[in-house]
Amino acid sequence: MTLTTLLLAAMPVSALPPVTPDLLAIKVGKAETIDQGTLEHAVILIEDGKIVMIGEDLPIDRGIPVLDRDPEWTVMPGLVNAYSRGPLDSRGGNDSTPELRASGELFLPEDFYDEVLELGVTTLGLYPAGNGIPGRAVAIRTKADTAEGLILKDDAYLKIRMRSSGSAKKLLKKGFEDADDWIEKEAKAREKWEKAQEKAKKSKKSKKKDDKKDDKKDDKEDDKRVAVPVASAPDDEESTEYVAPEKDGGAEAFLQLRERKLSALIAIGQASDYLHLLDAIGEEEFDWDLRIPITSELNIFNVKTEIGSRACRVVMEPQLSQHPNTMRLRNLPMELSEAGAKLVLIPRDDSVRGHEAWLRNTGEMVGYGLDRQAALRAMTLEPAELMGVGDRVGSLTVGKDANLIFFESDPLEPGTRVKAVMFEGEFVTGEVKL
Amino acid sequence: MRFSKTIPSAFAVAALFAFAPSFTAASNTSIDDEESPGEEEGEDAEDEGPETHYFAVVGADVYTGTGEVLRGATVLAKNGKIGAIGYDIEIPGLDYQADVSSVDRGYTSEVLDAAGYRVYPGMVAIESSGLLGTGGDFRDSVDPFGQNMILGLSTGITSTGQSNTAAKLKRYITQDPPVDYDFDGVILRDDCYSNFSWGSGSSRRSLREKLVRASEYMREYRQWQIDVKNDKELKEPSKKGVDNSVLEVLQGTVLAKFRADNREDLLGIARIAQEYGFRPVIDGCREGWTIAAELGRAGAFAIVTPRDRRDKSELLVRDGGSSIENAAILHAAGVQIAIKPSGRGVSLGGITGRDIMHLPVEVGFAIRGGLPEDAAIASVTTVPARMMGVSHRVGSLEVGKDCDLIVTDGDLLHYQTFVQWAVIDGQVVYDKQDELYFAHIRPRAETEIAPLRRLDAGENEDEDGEDADVDDADDDKKDKKDKQKDEDDD
Repeated sequence: MTLTTLLLAAMPVSALPPVTPDLLAIKVGKAETIDQGTLEHAVILIEDGKIVMIGEDLPIDRGIPVLDRDPEWTVMPGLVNAYSRGPLDSRGGNDSTPELRASGELFLPEDFYDEVLELGVTTLGLYPAGNGIPGRAVAIRTKADTAEGLILKDDAYLKIRMRSSGSAKKLLKKGFEDADDWIEKEAKAREKWEKAQEKAKKSKKSKKKDDKKDDKKDDKEDDKRVAVPVASAPDDEESTEYVAPEKDGGAEAFLQLRERKLSALIAIGQASDYLHLLDAIGEEEFDWDLRIPITSELNIFNVKTEIGSRACRVVMEPQLSQHPNTMRLRNLPMELSEAGAKLVLIPRDDSVRGHEAWLRNTGEMVGYGLDRQAALRAMTLEPAELMGVGDRVGSLTVGKDANLIFFESDPLEPGTRVKAVMFEGEFVTGEVKL
Repeated sequence: MRFSKTIPSAFAVAALFAFAPSFTAASNTSIDDEESPGEEEGEDAEDEGPETHYFAVVGADVYTGTGEVLRGATVLAKNGKIGAIGYDIEIPGLDYQADVSSVDRGYTSEVLDAAGYRVYPGMVAIESSGLLGTGGDFRDSVDPFGQNMILGLSTGITSTGQSNTAAKLKRYITQDPPVDYDFDGVILRDDCYSNFSWGSGSSRRSLREKLVRASEYMREYRQWQIDVKNDKELKEPSKKGVDNSVLEVLQGTVLAKFRADNREDLLGIARIAQEYGFRPVIDGCREGWTIAAELGRAGAFAIVTPRDRRDKSELLVRDGGSSIENAAILHAAGVQIAIKPSGRGVSLGGITGRDIMHLPVEVGFAIRGGLPEDAAIASVTTVPARMMGVSHRVGSLEVGKDCDLIVTDGDLLHYQTFVQWAVIDGQVVYDKQDELYFAHIRPRAETEIAPLRRLDAGENEDEDGEDADVDDADDDKKDKKDKQKDEDDD
C-alpha cells in the first residue's frame, strides 16, 4: 500500500481524468453518510451524477469502472454552507424588502465558486444583505455555465433580523398585518366582482343559474382563508375573469410564510432578542430557524432549553465564546445541540480562507465536546434541509446528487487533506486514477 | 427547616388579618378564600389549574414596611400576589398534600427557608437608568438577562422609575415547560408624572396660565354636571385651551414633578401648589430644609440626595446651601422623602459608592442627618411607590400586593448587609450564591440553611434537601462558582 501511495504521489498532477464515466463504482475505507451513520468498506455506485446505490462491501458487476481507494480514503457528502454572501457585496439597508431575491445578484464568471468547490463546498446559500427584513436567500450549486444555472432553489429562506427594539419587532408584526390587509382587500374585491357578475346574470339568465352561482360563492368563501387568488372558471362566455388585487411584496412574503411555502431565518444577537422574537411572533405560526452569530460574551445559554425544546435549527460559527464577565470558555454550539436544537455550522469567516478552515474549526468544536455526527450533519444535511434542498444534497443517500469529498483520513482530523472532490458525478479536483 | 407554629401575639395576628377579613385564626388558614384545599383535595386540584403557583418564605423576621416586624413569620403568595403574612399559615404542598405530586394536585409550590434572615419589601428606586435595558418602551427593549438588572436586584431594588415609567426588574426564569416572558408585567405604570419647569419667568407664567384655564374648566364642568340634570340639551363645556397634563394634575391622577434646588424656586412651587391644590414632587430640593414648613403645608414630596453638597450664598443673610439634616428636617415638617443616589446607573469604573447600587448607603447618610429609621426605609419603599402611583402594587408587604420582597442577612441599611435572595411576583429572581458577583463574599452556609426547595412528592422523600432535578441549571451554577473560586485566588 505504501508503494501505491508513493507511486501516486510521484505521478504528475495533470491527474484529472479527462472524462468521468457515466457509471462509476467507488470503494472507500469509510463513508460518512450523515443519514445512516458511518459505513465501513463502503461501495457507492454513481450513475448520471446521482447516487444509485450505497452500502458496505457491495459486489460490483464486472464491466463497471471502479475507483478503489479502500481502505485509505474516507468520503463524506459535499459541504453545504447555508449562510454566506459569497462573492456578493455586503452593503444593505435597514428596511423591510421581503420581496427581494439574492438570486438577482448572481453573476458569472466568479473565482469564488471554483475556489470553494475545490475545498469541497458544493452547495451555498446566499442571503440578501441588510438589516431589517432584507429578502430571500438562494441555494446555489457552486459550478454552472450560466448565472441562472447556479440556482438550485430560489426562496431558500426569508432573512429577518430581530433585536430587542420596538422598530425590529414592529417590522415583523407589520409584515403579518400587511398580509391581513391584503386578505381583507382581496375578499372585498371578490365580493364586488361577484355582485357585478350576479347583476349581469340576473338581467339575462334564469333563476336556476343564480342558484348555481350561490353555491360557487360558498366554496369561494372557504377558500378565502388560504387566500390564493384563483381565477374563477367562467360559467358562461359572458363572465369576465376574476383578477385578484395585486399583493405588494411584503404581503406576499408573509402570506407565503403562513402557508409554509417559505421559511424564515431569523438573526438574533443575544438571549433577550429571543424573548422579544417570541413576543413579536405572538400567535402567528410559521416555520422559522435561528441565526445566532457567536460573539465573545454571547449569553444565549440563558434560553438554550427554550430553543432546544422548539427543535429549530440554529446557524452558528464553530467557535468558542466566553461566559459574560469571565474568561471561562463555553462551547455554545455544543450546548444548543445537546439542548435539542438542530445545529447548522458555517465558516467563521465568509471568505475562501474561512471555508478552508471550516472543517478544522468544526473539528476543534468536536475536540471541545460537540458530538461528531452532529458536527458532520451541521455542515451537510442540516443546512441543506434549512434551505429546502435536503432531497438533492446533504447526505450520501440513493437518489441524491453525487457530491462527494474524499479525504485521506478522518475529515475532522487536524491536517486532513482533501484528496478529491466530485460534483454531480464529475471529479472537479484531485488525483484520481481509475 | 424551622416552621414557626407557636401561638402568635394577638396583636400581630389582628394586624394581619385586617387585610384579609375572610381569614380566621383557625389552624387551617389558607389563602384560598373559597374553599379549604386541605379538605377537598380532588376538587381543589381541578380548580387551581396547572399554572397556580404558591411561594412561601418561612422562618424570617418579616419587616412589612408598614411598621410591623413579625419574628419568624411566613409570607405566602399565590400566583405572585401576597395571600397571607403571619403565623400558622398552612402552605399548600408542604403542610397538606405533601405526599401528592405537583402534577396530581394541580399546582406548584416553592418554599424558601430564610430562618435567621430578614425579609423586607423590595426596594423601589425612584429613579435609575439602565437597569432594564437600553431604554425606550421597556416592553420592546427590556433585557431580562442583563448584568445591570442582576446588579440592581443584588442591591435589593425590585422596582424602579426611569423617566416617566415605573417598571419591575423582572428576570426571565427558565421553567419546564417554557413559559413566555411577561413583557407587560415589566411595566408597573406608564406616565407616572407630569413634568413641569420652574426655571424661568416664562415657564412659571405659562404654568400659571395653564393652571388658571384648567381650574376654570373644572369649575365649568362641575357646574354643567349640576345644570345638565335640569336641561338635558345643555352642552358640555369646551375643553379648548386646556392643557391635559395640567388637568390631570389638578384632578389628582398624576403628580406634578419639578426639578428645583433654590429656596426661592421651592417657595414658589410650594405656594402655587397650595393655591391650586395639588401636591408637587420636587426633585433635588437641596435648600428645602430652609422652608420645610412651607413645603410640608403644600403636601410636597421631595426626592433628595443626602450627599449632595451646595454652598450657601454669602451675599444673603438667610439660611441657604445644603445640610445633611435636609431629609430629617423635611420629614419632620411632613414632607414625604424619597432618596436617590447621585448616580442613576450602575457604574463599574471610577469611584464607587455613589451609583444606584449604593442606594441603601445613600439612605444611611440621611439617617446620619437625623432621619428616623422607619422614614429612611420608607424613602426607598413606600414613598417612591406612592409618588409614582404604584403603591397599590409595590412598596410594602401587605395582603393583595405583589410578592416583591428581598431576603437580607442583616439590617437593610447596614453597609455590611447583602441581599441573599430577591423575589418578584413570587419568583426567586436573584440568589446571591447563584450569581457571579457576590457569591464569594461571606458565602452562605448551605449546610445550615437549606436552599430553595421545590416541593414535590418525590423530592420530599430524600431529606437531604439536595435538589436532584435542577441539574441543568446547576451545571451553570457550579461553573460560576468555580469561576468565583478562581477569582478568589486572584
